[in-house]
Amino acid sequence: KQAPIPIPVPVIRLPRGPDGTSRGFCAARGRDRAGSVAEVAEQQARAALRERYLRSILAMVGRPVHFTLHERVQVDAHFGATDLDVANFHVSQLQTPLGVQGEALLRCADIISYSFQL
Amino acid sequence: MNEWMKKSPLEWQDYVYKEVRVTASEKNEYKGWVLTTDPVSANIVLVNFLEDGTVAVTGVMGHAVQTVETLNEDNQEVREKLMHMFMPEESKAYNPE
Repeated sequence: KQAPIPIPVPVIRLPRGPDGTSRGFCAARGRDRAGSVAEVAEQQARAALRERYLRSILAMVGRPVHFTLHERVQVDAHFGATDLDVANFHVSQLQTPLGVQGEALLRCADIISYSFQL
Repeated sequence: MNEWMKKSPLEWQDYVYKEVRVTASEKNEYKGWVLTTDPVSANIVLVNFLEDGTVAVTGVMGHAVQTVETLNEDNQEVREKLMHMFMPEESKAYNPE
């Protein structure tokens, strides 16, 4: 009574992902795509720089941080988190010239520099 | 986009462990040893070793950077300190201290 199990058809060719400027699949496969020595070196440098940066952000969590903003405004706050593309800083107890803000989001476009001590 | 943000990761890498002077928007100026540059935001992280033994870390936003000038080439002592900074415990095991 049971229907016979269909024999799987071997996959000859997988559909191609989008190419060109999109962030989809690349037509060439893994190893072929590895690129030139220069590209690999650049990618390694990028990864090393990024790792050190993320660790420096991690070290800042919970510490008092001093920010220099535009118009020569200087503020202090406790650092909480940042988003991955480093577009915003979430801080607590932001001490502004007008008073203390319990929780705040500082947009990176408004920041010139930040500093903290170990 | 400024000149600094247009640099490639390999160019940013060249500044690591060197002492630089960074000029930023609104005549802000910073000096310190380069720990890294974030390849996403181009933010530069500078480290200064203060006389009282504390370490000051400063991040200058990539969008605000105007010039970066090398003051001192890297030396072994600073390189050792920066290399282990913020790294997880396992790598500290190799630290001679």
